[in-house]
Amino acid sequence: MYRTLRTIHLLAGAFALPMLLMYATSAVQMAHPGWFRLKPAVSESRFTLPAGSNDGRRLAYNLMAARNISGELQQLRSTAQGYEFRIVRPGTVHEIRYDHLTGATHLQTLASPFIGVLNRLHHAAGMAHHDYLPLTMWGVLVALASMATVTLAGTGVWMWWLRRQQRRSGLILVGANLAFTLAVFLILRLG
Amino acid sequence: MTGLVRKIHIWAGLLVLSQLAIYGIAGLTAGVYASRARPNRPRSVRHVSFTPPANATDRQVAGLIYQQLRLPFTRPMPDWFLRHTTDHHLLLDFYNINGIYRVTVLEDEQRLRIEEIRNNLWLFMEDIHAATLADDGAPMPVRLWALWNEVALWSLAGFCLSGAWLWLATSRRHPWAWSALAAGSLAFAILWGTLR
Repeated sequence: MYRTLRTIHLLAGAFALPMLLMYATSAVQMAHPGWFRLKPAVSESRFTLPAGSNDGRRLAYNLMAARNISGELQQLRSTAQGYEFRIVRPGTVHEIRYDHLTGATHLQTLASPFIGVLNRLHHAAGMAHHDYLPLTMWGVLVALASMATVTLAGTGVWMWWLRRQQRRSGLILVGANLAFTLAVFLILRLG
Repeated sequence: MTGLVRKIHIWAGLLVLSQLAIYGIAGLTAGVYASRARPNRPRSVRHVSFTPPANATDRQVAGLIYQQLRLPFTRPMPDWFLRHTTDHHLLLDFYNINGIYRVTVLEDEQRLRIEEIRNNLWLFMEDIHAATLADDGAPMPVRLWALWNEVALWSLAGFCLSGAWLWLATSRRHPWAWSALAAGSLAFAILWGTLR
């Protein structure tokens, strides 16, 4: 049994290793925001698209194809002048303003540094609501890494229990952790 | 050396066991709930008498209500969070770790309507997993949880390193482990490259 558990533990850990490192690093950043610089690099460009577009979604997809911009279309809204929308990938936000009468288009790109990308990836999840396939695939990977994490916790505890020589010391630690968790949960949920 | 690393790996794992399980559950919950709106239907509604002082600003009224109601695990309402209903009643959403206390100031009726919108246990775990010490204004139980979370997030980084050590020291030739690492790394690298 111990060998089987160890193999499952090892496989889950090896598969999830890059994701767990990403989560650990970005969690440190979020817990200590002052240690890192998150200021994005900003670039701007102005160009002209065909005037008179009255379909914001089509306009956005045409722009993405023409300017080789990939990401998820967000916050599309009609304004007095034309359209405003964002095209978003984790760590990169393109903000676009389009003038309906003249076709004048303003594109502002905010690109986060490496740690900022990790932060955004940490928050990216979900498999069903994205119209950008890589984000959906990322959601699948997040789900697999999450299952691996639960598996690591479960097999880890089971292996520890089978290692008789470390039961007593481990019981103190796991007992403290479970008692603390139960107490905080009860206080917060019933308080 | 390997024996010591194994002991630390096990002890640290047991010390933050709940946090690790909650991280996994939070990831799965986020995967499900990211595509849905959070609960917005009140679990309970009650009314409390309240007469706002004459000429008080919305901000002052919000502060007074916060002081008077002392709703559990809420914090003072920031100015930018003040809203009004379509019929012009002041609407205060007091967010907390369990959901929202939605308070509507019914000035003409001289009372408050307090709706409790409660998150389920899965969403609670998703929210509690994100508690950090960087949030100075969090209620004390959440701060305590954040303290343990701090240990857990450093431990998580440590598990990656100590786990890799134990693998290479004891089961280096395990072919399936290398395959699993390659699969996870490849998927991560491809998506990283695509998303960048």
